[in-house]
Amino acid sequence: MSASTMRRRPLRRLLERIGFAFAVFVMVSPAALVFLWMLSLSLKTEIDNIAFPPVFIPNPPTLDNFRAVFERNDFLNQAWNSIVVSFGATAIALAVGIPAGYGIAKMRATRAAVLILIARITPGLSYLIPLFLLFQWIGLTGTLWPIVITHLVLTVPIAVWVMIGFFESLPAELEEAALVDGATIWQAFRHVALPLARPGITVATILAFIFSWNNFIFAMVLAGRETRTLPVAVNNMLTFEQISWGPLSAAALLVTLPVLVLTLVAQKQIVAGLTQGGVKGA
Amino acid sequence: MTQITRRDALRAGAALLAAPAIVSQANAQSAFNWRRFAGERIEVSLTANPRSQILIQNQREFEELTGIRVGSEQIPEQQHRQKFVIEFASGRPSFDVISISLHVNKRQVGRAKWTADIKPMMADATLTAPDFDFQDFGAGAVAYSTQADGRMDTIPEFTDYFILYYNKEIFQQANLQPPRTYDELYETARRLTDARAGRFGFVGRGLRNANVVLYTSFLLGTQQRDCVDANMRLLTDTPDAIWAGEMYKKLLRDTAPPGVAGFNWNESQTTFAQGRAAMWLDGVGFATPLEDPTRSRVAGKVGYAVVPAGPAHHHCAMFGTGLGISAASNERKRGAAWLYLQWAVNKTNQLRFLTSGAGAPARQSPYRNEEAIRTSRFGRDYFTTLIESGRIARPGLPEIVPVTEFRDTLGAGLTNTIGGADVATELRRATEAFRPVLEASERAS
Amino acid sequence: MGASKRQPSTRTMPSGLSDTAALQGAAADSARRKRAYARHYWPFVVPAAVVVFAVIVFPWVFTLWMSLQEWKLGSGRSFVGLANYQRLLTDDRFHWSILRTLYFTALAVVIPVVLGIAAALIFNRKFPLRGLMRTVFILPMMATPVAVALVWTMMFHPQLGVLNWILSQFGIPPSMWVYDQSTVIPTLVLVEVWHWTPLVMLLVLGGLASLPVDPYEAAKIDGATGWQAFRYITLPLLAPFIMVAVIIRTIDALKAFDTIYVITQGGPGTASETINIFLYLNAFAYYNMGYASAVVVVFFALIIGLALLLLWSRERFKDAVR
Repeated sequence: MSASTMRRRPLRRLLERIGFAFAVFVMVSPAALVFLWMLSLSLKTEIDNIAFPPVFIPNPPTLDNFRAVFERNDFLNQAWNSIVVSFGATAIALAVGIPAGYGIAKMRATRAAVLILIARITPGLSYLIPLFLLFQWIGLTGTLWPIVITHLVLTVPIAVWVMIGFFESLPAELEEAALVDGATIWQAFRHVALPLARPGITVATILAFIFSWNNFIFAMVLAGRETRTLPVAVNNMLTFEQISWGPLSAAALLVTLPVLVLTLVAQKQIVAGLTQGGVKGA
Repeated sequence: MTQITRRDALRAGAALLAAPAIVSQANAQSAFNWRRFAGERIEVSLTANPRSQILIQNQREFEELTGIRVGSEQIPEQQHRQKFVIEFASGRPSFDVISISLHVNKRQVGRAKWTADIKPMMADATLTAPDFDFQDFGAGAVAYSTQADGRMDTIPEFTDYFILYYNKEIFQQANLQPPRTYDELYETARRLTDARAGRFGFVGRGLRNANVVLYTSFLLGTQQRDCVDANMRLLTDTPDAIWAGEMYKKLLRDTAPPGVAGFNWNESQTTFAQGRAAMWLDGVGFATPLEDPTRSRVAGKVGYAVVPAGPAHHHCAMFGTGLGISAASNERKRGAAWLYLQWAVNKTNQLRFLTSGAGAPARQSPYRNEEAIRTSRFGRDYFTTLIESGRIARPGLPEIVPVTEFRDTLGAGLTNTIGGADVATELRRATEAFRPVLEASERAS
Repeated sequence: MGASKRQPSTRTMPSGLSDTAALQGAAADSARRKRAYARHYWPFVVPAAVVVFAVIVFPWVFTLWMSLQEWKLGSGRSFVGLANYQRLLTDDRFHWSILRTLYFTALAVVIPVVLGIAAALIFNRKFPLRGLMRTVFILPMMATPVAVALVWTMMFHPQLGVLNWILSQFGIPPSMWVYDQSTVIPTLVLVEVWHWTPLVMLLVLGGLASLPVDPYEAAKIDGATGWQAFRYITLPLLAPFIMVAVIIRTIDALKAFDTIYVITQGGPGTASETINIFLYLNAFAYYNMGYASAVVVVFFALIIGLALLLLWSRERFKDAVR
């Protein structure tokens, strides 16, 4: 190597580093900025929110927007609806999805897997018309049940799908040993496979919960005033009077905060669940 | 259920024949029992607008008067209109009282008999307060709330007229008068447009669906006036229709702010309130925030005028809202809901609508209340405009069932013209697309 | 029940499950015994089958039946055969919605995949604060679409939005974003890109982690540049992962509804009216349940094709993905 390339090296490495840092910045900043702007809007007064050029740092920050959200629109009731629906739909999905994942994995039932997969990739909207007419016919409208049931369209396939992948990857020797020792299939599942599958169950729970929590379309059509979930409620907060960005941002932030926190806490499981078989929510 | 319906029908018949007698009989009764349904709970679902805001703010009055608890909410209008139909169709609506845009849903609601006939309840002296004074409602508003078969399935809440809002300051600086015809409107708007300075001569609805009522405002000034003829045949590709379309296109294209293709009334309102537009043509009920100095830069500078005249006629587009009682609610809730309706459209609330600039009340008495008008923060020209508009009002949308589809189809064509598309082509395409829908709908009824 | 399970041959079975080659190589006798063994697991699937049948399969069948009816909410219903499908053939608005969906999908696949690969290459290197940066980067993926869409709506405001201010800082003239027919779809794609680039990144990152080291060392010795190594070694090895990402993105882009509905409701005009929006409006704004069902059936057929593609590629690249 010549002397000149030797001298250029440190400079080139520095430039490379700066370039790389810039690339990281460009990639990450849109993600960060949208959330920061959401936070900023929610902490400013209405005058600052529609000021141009924009005011970035709330000065002084105000909690009035959050107060406004809790004061009107039955926010707490809607939050409770969201919790009931998401936990309900997740619990039912796990109850039926874990054994189903196990059964399908053991039977190598490819056709059943295809069915689940197709369900997974069909637009949620297409279930809405028949299910709406069905609920109307059996008189379930006006309760939270239709919303929980429609959310099963999202949660059951994801639970089954994650569990199939997980049970397929479990080493079978322990179960077989149990079977050889005279255990029934059910016992082998209950005492051997299930404890081993706990990480998979965590993944399925988190993803099913998030998909259900984030869902908008089902509740938008099926929910009445008493049964509205948070995403629908926040969309209804667009007001008639000019622009009311502060309370809207505050509400939007409150709606998405639980899933953001969950993402931060359970990042590893979410990544594992989403990249395995690579299927994500509606 | 059938029994009640039959009894209701009988009562309705009796009421039609003997309404004045019964009303006077009710007046004779001294103590009306407002607390008859105390402890009952009713749900009220309203369209988000300044009127609903007033009702919700004051509903405690009603709760204290009657002992009935009210759960009420307001939802943005486009979602509300879609949503309540779905709820009615589900057979178990989550509300007992519903506000209905008559210009959108009247025939649909009437055809399905989703809301209860109010006439029999009004005829029942035990259910109707003696001071309700139904005669106070304008004949036009009552007709708007009455279906073709004679059922009155909503109580008139307010009437909305399109008026011309203009920025007095800008007009004075340019030494101009508010336009008297649509051609003048365009000329004035063009002269007042200075795109570089961010000031525009005109702002109005460009958003698909919402924009149709601005278009029909222009159409009302032509010889043909309406979108359909007496036999419910579409007239939206005629020379008159094209004239109105050209007016719409050049106004929004040449004199309105960029992005207007996505504007509904609230974006238009923001633009006007910021002083960025000299004129705005829209419903009379959107005045409240304009005169609020904490939100508006044009407070105290807003001029109000009746809409300009067209080449053949001078009409302003009229729309109406009524409050209905869900037919699916049980009898007690329907009774409580009827009390709510009486309160909601009583003279006090109707006067509140008028004096706060929230819209034209359906009753006539507020307009005669000189003192309230004098002390209102709205200028005299606001009230004159209202009264004059009432004289030249004409329905701004055809009374058909698939109104939303009509507005979406025609509205999309109109929005395209803002982007530069040819008016005649767009109107013809929209007309051809909607004609079979309308024909099928008319055959069904 | 118990007796068959104790047969020694079953011992090797489960581990062979995920190994197609082993399964194929097995003797016919052994395969039959495996099937007999597997049959005992059907009770596990029953509850899920009931649920899936009720909320997923039943709607499919019901939709098919409904698509043959003229069914207006609030009015009656009558059998019309294939009339709804005939109307679809001549409905310009529907045809445009298909073209728009394809346009939206093409952009919403290509851009996130390209950016996702770039992001994966970045996050595959070690640098300070990498964990934190990656966490921030994947947050959009999980955020509630409706809530975020509302914030985007505020940012897109042509006069008061923060995005036009940012553009002005770089001397770029303001954009109309979702307020103009020509920019609305690219703008909605921007939101989609923001949401889903992280998923592509994660899939590709998984692929990068599995790459062998040897070819790179060989390339280095041969004097290959960084770009050449990427172009001729990394990219071909990543192909299966990119393939999966492309398919997932395609399906998700076809499903996109929440963001478009909240931000534009298909407007301005019909400029962002995709099949999903068209479908929604027909069903729940015009109440044409029969016609909307026909749209679902056609849309469904489109998606089934892609489903088969996804399954095929999942089988093909299974081991690589895991």
